[in-house]
Amino acid sequence: MVWITSMGLAVGLTMIVFLLGMIVYNGLEVFWPKPVVRLELREGSTAGLNNAPAFGGVIVKTQEKAVQVLASEGETLAPQREYQLFVGNKDVYGFGYKFVDNTEIVAESRPPEIVVAERLEYGNAIFVPKELKLADGNTVTGDDRQFEATLESLVDEGNKRRTEIRRIERDQIGDLNRKFDSIRLARRSIEAKGGELSPADREKLAELDATSTALQAEYELKAAKARELRDLQHANQIVYTTLDGAERTLPTGDLIGFYYPNTLSLPGKAGLFVHRFWSFLSDEPREANTEGGIFPAIFGTFVMTLLMSMAVTPFGVLAAIYLREYAKQGVFVRSVRIAVNNLAGVPSIVFGVFGLGFFVYFLGGTIDRLFFSLSLPTPTFGTGGVLWASLTLALMTVPVVIVATEEALSAVSRGTREGSLACGASKWQTIQSIVLPASLPGILTGLILAMARGAGEVAPLMLVGVVKLAPTLPIDTIYPFVHLERKFMHLGFHIYDLGFQSPDSEAAKPMVFATTFLLILLVVCLNLGAILIRNHLRKKYRTSTF
Amino acid sequence: MQVASAKSKHNRDERPPRDLKTTGTTPPVVPARFQVAKRTLLMDRFMNQFIKVGGLSVIVAVFGIFIFILIQILPLFKGAAVLELKTIELEQADYIQLGIDEWSELPFALQADGDINLIDVAGDRGVVTQSLPFVAEHGISGVHYNQLAQRLTVGTRDGQFAIVEINYKPVFAAGSGRVVEAAVTSGKLLPIGRPGVPVDEIGYADAGGRKLAVATQTIDGRKELHAVTLEQKRSLMGAGQTNVDQTFDLTGIVNGAVSSFLVATQADSVLITTEAGEVIYLFLEGREFVVRQTLRPFADLPDPRIGLLRYVFGDVTFVAVAPTGETKGYSLYLDPEVGSRQFGETKKFEAQPGATDVFAASVRNKAFLLAGGGHARLVFSTTEAIRWQKDLDFKVRKAVLGGKYDRMVFLDDAARLHFYELKDPHPEASLKAFFGKLWYEGAPEPKYDWQSTGGSDDFEPKLSLVPLIIGSLKGTLYALLFAVPIALLAATYTSQFLKPEIKTIVKPTMEIMASLPSVVLGFLAALWLAPILETRVPSILLIIVMVPLSALFFGIAWARLPPRMRLFIPPGWEFLVFLPMMFVSGWVAWRLGPALERMVFVVSDPSTGALIADFRLWWPSVTGTPFEQRNSLVVGFMMGFAVIPIIFTIAEDALSNVPQALRSGSLALGASRWQTARRIVLPTASAGIFSALMIGLGRAVGETMIVVMATGNTPIMEWNIFSGMRTLAANIAVELPEAPHHGTLYRSLFLGAMVLFLLTFFVNTIAEVMRQRLRERYKTVE
Repeated sequence: MVWITSMGLAVGLTMIVFLLGMIVYNGLEVFWPKPVVRLELREGSTAGLNNAPAFGGVIVKTQEKAVQVLASEGETLAPQREYQLFVGNKDVYGFGYKFVDNTEIVAESRPPEIVVAERLEYGNAIFVPKELKLADGNTVTGDDRQFEATLESLVDEGNKRRTEIRRIERDQIGDLNRKFDSIRLARRSIEAKGGELSPADREKLAELDATSTALQAEYELKAAKARELRDLQHANQIVYTTLDGAERTLPTGDLIGFYYPNTLSLPGKAGLFVHRFWSFLSDEPREANTEGGIFPAIFGTFVMTLLMSMAVTPFGVLAAIYLREYAKQGVFVRSVRIAVNNLAGVPSIVFGVFGLGFFVYFLGGTIDRLFFSLSLPTPTFGTGGVLWASLTLALMTVPVVIVATEEALSAVSRGTREGSLACGASKWQTIQSIVLPASLPGILTGLILAMARGAGEVAPLMLVGVVKLAPTLPIDTIYPFVHLERKFMHLGFHIYDLGFQSPDSEAAKPMVFATTFLLILLVVCLNLGAILIRNHLRKKYRTSTF
Repeated sequence: MQVASAKSKHNRDERPPRDLKTTGTTPPVVPARFQVAKRTLLMDRFMNQFIKVGGLSVIVAVFGIFIFILIQILPLFKGAAVLELKTIELEQADYIQLGIDEWSELPFALQADGDINLIDVAGDRGVVTQSLPFVAEHGISGVHYNQLAQRLTVGTRDGQFAIVEINYKPVFAAGSGRVVEAAVTSGKLLPIGRPGVPVDEIGYADAGGRKLAVATQTIDGRKELHAVTLEQKRSLMGAGQTNVDQTFDLTGIVNGAVSSFLVATQADSVLITTEAGEVIYLFLEGREFVVRQTLRPFADLPDPRIGLLRYVFGDVTFVAVAPTGETKGYSLYLDPEVGSRQFGETKKFEAQPGATDVFAASVRNKAFLLAGGGHARLVFSTTEAIRWQKDLDFKVRKAVLGGKYDRMVFLDDAARLHFYELKDPHPEASLKAFFGKLWYEGAPEPKYDWQSTGGSDDFEPKLSLVPLIIGSLKGTLYALLFAVPIALLAATYTSQFLKPEIKTIVKPTMEIMASLPSVVLGFLAALWLAPILETRVPSILLIIVMVPLSALFFGIAWARLPPRMRLFIPPGWEFLVFLPMMFVSGWVAWRLGPALERMVFVVSDPSTGALIADFRLWWPSVTGTPFEQRNSLVVGFMMGFAVIPIIFTIAEDALSNVPQALRSGSLALGASRWQTARRIVLPTASAGIFSALMIGLGRAVGETMIVVMATGNTPIMEWNIFSGMRTLAANIAVELPEAPHHGTLYRSLFLGAMVLFLLTFFVNTIAEVMRQRLRERYKTVE
């Protein structure tokens, strides 16, 4: 029987290790450059693309065909294998992945001249370069020695220019838009007074009109500059043939990066791996979140968790101190304690429901009516936002903090307390300078656990302010810097959204795995921290009691 | 809360004596250096109060969640609130029809002499009269009003009918807000039935391509029933003239004396009531009327006649009222035995107090108003509930419900128009709707169903929470089936047999597993596990059987080994030895899966006759239940994964905390490790293990993301492991973002949340109480 019980543990542990291992492998593998194969198909095969005799891509998966057809005598036919290839070039084919049976393939090769290029649109392109058409009329052919260097400098130039365009369009023009908006609101507030306008009001209106015209002129200027830069992005072009033989032309300004997958050395691959991982962390998403990075999601998660901890700590600690130090220990406090414990087990979605009803509709709606009535019916606080999300999660995690703090408080020995009181310290002084410092690590553990739970929770957030793509971050350089009413992105929701709401779920899968890896990393780190602190604490108390 | 304040007061009463002892009993003796600084005292007192108030208010706030959700759902169970707004005296005349606009601002009353009185209720325009031009020459003998289309069909005294449109439209005048205006346009007169004979009753339906008018005429004391279909010529100039296409004399088709009739808005059927109390369902098949069905709603009553027969909004259900007040509802549904859509008795309403002659159906929902004499009653058809009823102090002649189900208008026999405000935001809701079986329109039987939104205006929301609760329980059941054995076995092993050094690694690992975000598990379940499981069901079945079997055999074999060999592995390391065993048996089972599939799970393809070994096809063909990719097996597996660490941690704690003395005693008496665990430790810790199961259950019931992602989210009521489900939690996550604020759906979802809250709170409380009791028990042992 001991063996049966050992099975329980073995199965449990294997599952965790396997799952974590799989996530880590799949999450990191995304960034590792893989070779591109060129497949030649048997004559007359229609398995390829556009009936071409050959095509190619990255082999993603090899599997046996699922359905087994039995021959009439009960024998099985030879099992068929099929490959799943990432063929890229979504602009040409309309899809990114393709299955092909092994019976269709005649030959397989890895030509060194194949290039994988990351683009702004339509995902990666896999091609054999033909030539570069430069703006000055020169051309550089694909087999030229200079080709790689030229292309690289062009891509670099394009990337820089893109940053510049972004700066103009988002920061400067965005700034102008905000000014327009405030003018509109100011005008509305004057007009809302109704009746005859006073001379002062009329003067103000004229002034607003004047600023508005000035802003308009400035806007034209900026827009023209942005347009000009955009045109430059299209000046140089690359001509290439896809592996099935179609010829395409692409402005180099649309390329983000490129590499020769079949000639990469190991250090080269590692370098590319690090580079891709970094851009995943620091870039903004593209192509309905299936390409690019996840920086806004990381940042949103971070801000939300921070706000949540700021809300949860004082309240949780306060309630715990009350329960442990001030309330008379009796049936009432015991039942409150049980109830608080149970609250930790109430499904998160219930808190989400409460958050939507109370914070968003009730509190937010009231705030809007009182302070933002001018911009109604567009809600400001009366819709999901990072503040409401944090408060909802704070409410959800408050029991965790209360329980942990209470435990930490009760671990402070009676002797310590009495010593302090005997020295003439008041009750609050004792708590402030003896009990709280001693229980700080315990409180910290509770807080970290709360953060881990908050960071990984998605269901309530879906109701109170998380969105698939937030154009702006909740904290930025625009006054008043912290925008609590803004909607935000979240790693957990990003996973849900990518995996289930994305137009091309197959293309999104690598990104989901990578995001999952990151989220798990975050949560596991937080938990490990909490566990380490706890173990440390235990040791400390064990020694102190002896 | 009163308890709390009482307690804290008690607390305060207690404190002063101690304060006196330390500071104030002998004031003159205390030297200055022993006196407490004022600031310290003030601070202390302030913090005392602050923490008390703060702490209590945090706790109150946390429990405020419950109260807030309760407040949100209470309106669901309120009846309609009706408030008399005003009474308007009309000119004494014979009013034959009452109608109202969508905004309930400009109702009209049609007089028998063809005058339409538009009564401005909201503004001060008074009564404006418009005359129907043809009435002076042809007269009015019957009228039919379609409130949704704002269309009057008028039958004349010389066997013709005309369609009169009342075009209401809101006009936004500058500065004064909205005013509703109406323009009356009459169509041309069309012949129906016998020329020159007055039309007694007229009915008309326009379903776009098909237009049907039905009329009764009395000839020699006998009622004849005639119908015409109309066609509208389309020309280059747009819609052309409407002309009679086909004429029918339906008198012969009806067996008995016609008393009244109804035309369905679909313009494909006529319901005829006869003097003998029969309802005959005529259906227009092609260009021919056929009798589909003959019903006798009140055959069991002494007087089987039908007093009133009317459609509820949507024209799928009709309400029949007997002269004595019995009220029944019949609904069209597809009876599998008959093979066509027929009426069946689906609703039994509370009997009216007496004869009922006034009926008004809402054009928003399935509510209708019944009135007879001075009694008026508002009934909701779906739930059979009486929303409102009252004995009025006037006799109702005509009644109409406002276009937005927000007004009731009665016309009494003294030509007074009574205006009532109707506040009934959640007519669909009732305890029965949420937790009972209801016979919905179009369904062949009463059932529990959740379908909150539909495609058409006359859709009937189905709000039963039962399928969702069943779904939650189903997911939980499969999750626990998977999780409980593994978690409990692992907990037993870890606490009883495992080396303490390894335990310090194993426990944190399990705890980390508990913290895996459910969205991650859900994603893995749906996009990684589901496709694997889909093709590998036989392998999984084999693994489930083979891994425990291998453990059993290995254990038996081990016991037979010579002791010298056994010493090779110290106790507490068994699981490491078992790991490779498990991998081997698991791998073998995995590889054998397809072979098993070829041997057992074979179906023949009906089209080609080839034999196909595919579990996905085999399962439905054998059990008759569907096989879906996102099924309960996947959910059970992943949710089990989420629950294992929780059960494990709590059960392990309970087992480890069994006093060492008990174990030592048992071992000293010669019991083996397993005997000690089985006979001593497990029974002692049983309460703790139970509490672990309860908490695991609580978590599985409320789990959201895994279920949202890994099931099909179809609210079905079956326990098939290869189909999905929709749980309460998933339902909230899926529907609440789209639910209109304070609508019925919104509040229903809050009700779902409340059910979830109570369920988990209840389960957790049991667990917590058990745990407390266990602690007490350990204390007594020590």
